Amino acid sequence: MAGIEKVPAPRSGAHTVIGSSIVIDGEISGDEDLVIQGTVKGRISLRESLFVEGSGVIEADIETANVEVSGQVTGNIAASDKVELKADCKVVGDIRAPRILIADGALFKGNVDMDVKETKGK
Amino acid sequence: MATIDGSTIIGESILISGSLNGDEDLTVRGRVEGTLTLTKTLVVEPTGVVKAEVQVKNCVIAGAIVGNVTATESVEITKEGRMVGDINAPRVIIVDGASFRGRIDMGEVDVEAERETRAVARVAAPAPARPTLRPAARPAPAKAAEPRHAEETVVAAKPPAPPAPVAMGAVKRKVIVKRK
Repeated sequence: MAGIEKVPAPRSGAHTVIGSSIVIDGEISGDEDLVIQGTVKGRISLRESLFVEGSGVIEADIETANVEVSGQVTGNIAASDKVELKADCKVVGDIRAPRILIADGALFKGNVDMDVKETKGK
Repeated sequence: MATIDGSTIIGESILISGSLNGDEDLTVRGRVEGTLTLTKTLVVEPTGVVKAEVQVKNCVIAGAIVGNVTATESVEITKEGRMVGDINAPRVIIVDGASFRGRIDMGEVDVEAERETRAVARVAAPAPARPTLRPAARPAPAKAAEPRHAEETVVAAKPPAPPAPVAMGAVKRKVIVKRK
């Protein structure tokens, strides 16, 4: 296991890949990591990590454990663990997660809520 | 990461419901419901379940498909494959062990031209390999067209050409369905 974090190589463990020419209009749910290089509209709910790569375009509400965005996301993101907006990503929507990282160069418009555990009852 | 470019994999625990369109190969190990349109090959692996209207170029079924499949090239149901629905494709391959219920349409088969071709072929050479792939597209062999055999050709043309085994299976099942 060569563990260089920022290279896409470690994602070989991901079982599901939505390739760059794929367009999905609807709902995706599952219990495993998901890599998106194509376009998804609708809703995504996972119990693991979601990776939106540079070519990925998402117009959907997202509910997962982890999200890593290098592409474009329009929609609300709710993560139980972490949301990471990488450089060159474009995100429009609200983010709710205990840990939120926004890298230099990322474009983001929306509300951020890191107070997830306390306000869970609301 | 060669496995990542140009091919899409839907993992075992993933459910996609809605429409899925694309221009690349797709491997389904999880579930897809709705409509599925590709310009390349769809592979449904043994763990995969597709409940959708499928429109692709090639389709290989080792898992389960419920719904109609239209392929511009071929549909293959492997020995682990299960399918319920209609198939519309010029080439359909169903291997021993596969389970299938539905109708198959391999397109316009010109029966008259087919009979002549086969009859002429039978006169020329006994039972050549059955043209299972694209029977209508096959021209009559040139050397068989000797004029003095014209009479014989007509006689030989009388017995109906046996349909491909796949089509026979499909018809048989259709009759059973009607009886109910």
